[in-house]
Amino acid sequence: MAKRRRSTRWLALAGIVVLAALAVLALTVPARAESQSAGDIYTPPTSMGVADPPAQQTENYCLSCHGDPKLSLTLPGGETLSLYISTDTLAKSVHSPLGIECEACHTNIKTYPHPAITYQTRRELSRSYYQACQKCHSTNYDKTLDSMHARAAAAGNQTAPICTDCHGAHDVQKPDQPRSRISQTCGQCHTQIFADYKDSVHGVALIQDNNPDVPVCTDCHGVHNIQDPRTAQFRVNTPDLCAGCHADPRRMSKYGLSTDVYSLYRTSWHGVDISVYKENWPTIWHTSAVCTDCHGVHDIRKTDDPASKVNPANLLATCQKCHPGAGPNWTAAWTGHNKIDLNRTPFLFYVEQFYSGFTPFILWLCVIYVILQIIRAVVGRVRRSLR
Amino acid sequence: MNAVSRSTTAPASRGVQTIRFFARFTRGQRWEHGLLILSFIVLFLTGIVQKYRNEQWSQDILSTPDRLLLVQTIHHIAALVLTLEVLYHLIRAIVLLARRKMSPALFPTLKDVRDAGQMLKYLLFLSNQKPRFGKYNFEQKVTYWFLFFGIGIMVVTGFILWFPVQVTSVVSGGIVPAAKLAHSTEAIVAGIFVLIWHFYHVHLERLNLSIFTGRLNEDDMRQYHSAEFERLTGEPARPETRDQGGQS
Repeated sequence: MAKRRRSTRWLALAGIVVLAALAVLALTVPARAESQSAGDIYTPPTSMGVADPPAQQTENYCLSCHGDPKLSLTLPGGETLSLYISTDTLAKSVHSPLGIECEACHTNIKTYPHPAITYQTRRELSRSYYQACQKCHSTNYDKTLDSMHARAAAAGNQTAPICTDCHGAHDVQKPDQPRSRISQTCGQCHTQIFADYKDSVHGVALIQDNNPDVPVCTDCHGVHNIQDPRTAQFRVNTPDLCAGCHADPRRMSKYGLSTDVYSLYRTSWHGVDISVYKENWPTIWHTSAVCTDCHGVHDIRKTDDPASKVNPANLLATCQKCHPGAGPNWTAAWTGHNKIDLNRTPFLFYVEQFYSGFTPFILWLCVIYVILQIIRAVVGRVRRSLR
Repeated sequence: MNAVSRSTTAPASRGVQTIRFFARFTRGQRWEHGLLILSFIVLFLTGIVQKYRNEQWSQDILSTPDRLLLVQTIHHIAALVLTLEVLYHLIRAIVLLARRKMSPALFPTLKDVRDAGQMLKYLLFLSNQKPRFGKYNFEQKVTYWFLFFGIGIMVVTGFILWFPVQVTSVVSGGIVPAAKLAHSTEAIVAGIFVLIWHFYHVHLERLNLSIFTGRLNEDDMRQYHSAEFERLTGEPARPETRDQGGQS
């Protein structure tokens, strides 16, 4: 009995020793690996957490090779990939001066020699590397997953944009400085739309005057979760989208524009149709006109611009898009976002004048007459019963 | 119209009351009124749903785009029925008037103005004497002519709204929004008028079903159309003079 107890005590002691030895190993092995990856470079802790080494330390190390303009390699697909990174480019980017350096994005490269590149093409490489953005920019990255661009990529379009296509890779800049940079970025791919926009009232004010009030692409289309603007839902939301600025008196007063355009549209034939569809059947396509049907989409111009779709010279042709067969008299049927006015809409003015008096007159005439009749009849009945 | 008819030709005897009825509307006129009621109600209901289609209650009814189309189609069919009825009414009236075969009883006269003044005095207790009315009293003439012009406005503006492209090939486009406002407002005015004015006179003041039955009984004739009663029968409408304030 006593012997047995002693042997178990030995076993327990041996177990503790083994466990302690394993713990020591576990602590030392990764530490050794870490010092190996950083090479000889001193690695103090930093507050960024993203890049452990201090600013420009690993960058300088990487640039000792990648600063060579001739450095390149040929991908298995046959394309040549330049491996040159300009010091200047990095210095002007938003990341490098903050101490966010090479290995923050190139997470798979720890040392030299680097792991072998298995990507067939440059695009394949980009589409793989850009996913590093989500490490820090997870909110915006997640938004892009619900975008028109992500759906295009999912459908097999390899050229569908990824973070770096719009923001740049080694030369990441603030995307909205200057503000026109946003629209120019979109214009890299959407060239025709940008060409239209550039000459529109909004585009001219943006690009030539750096106007802070006019919309850039993202103001209407959204930023990372850009949706398909060709859907019925986008269509019925258009009036509210435009009203975001055009019903804002503070912004419109600067340019002498009326904010009634939206409220009067809402009471118009087109506007009522659209608001009913928006409320009840937003996914069902409806042809009643929204702002962009008459004013244009990206090529919106001032109404007095001869090229404007709603310029009096072009208005009939614009109406005829939906009302084929409409003659020259037709355009007078459009009250033009204006309140009822004797000179502009005389018929409407007189009808409104007439009924604003006639309706209450008839109502009160009927009510008063009937009340008098009832009083007289009741009084007559009471008198007869008292007689 | 030599229009004294009797429900019973037997002479009055003990325990049997003889009620005389007077012909008031022809079969055709009764049918016309029936068509008018039917189309008016259908047009009003299907119209008001469209007028207020920004409101939730309207959208509950027009719950699908198909429903909206259906309501519009019903409105158009009822509009055609009313238009045909109006055309029939007008053509018949014109033809009969031209041949001098129609009583001009419905046309407003100076007597109607005097009657209205007398009625106002009576209602304001300034007089105890109700005006003595002919076949149609001034209230009934107001009803007819108000709806005559009201329906005229509705038919004309309604067709402008139905065929705006064709209409504006002839007249200025400014007529279209004006027609929309007129159509939408006149409908409410006509609705108010029928509900308050017409319904009071035919349902509350007394139940007057003569437009459906085609005839009016002797009591109502004596009391409400005394001049017409006297003209037709030669008897005095009120042998015993009593307060004119209403029936027992």
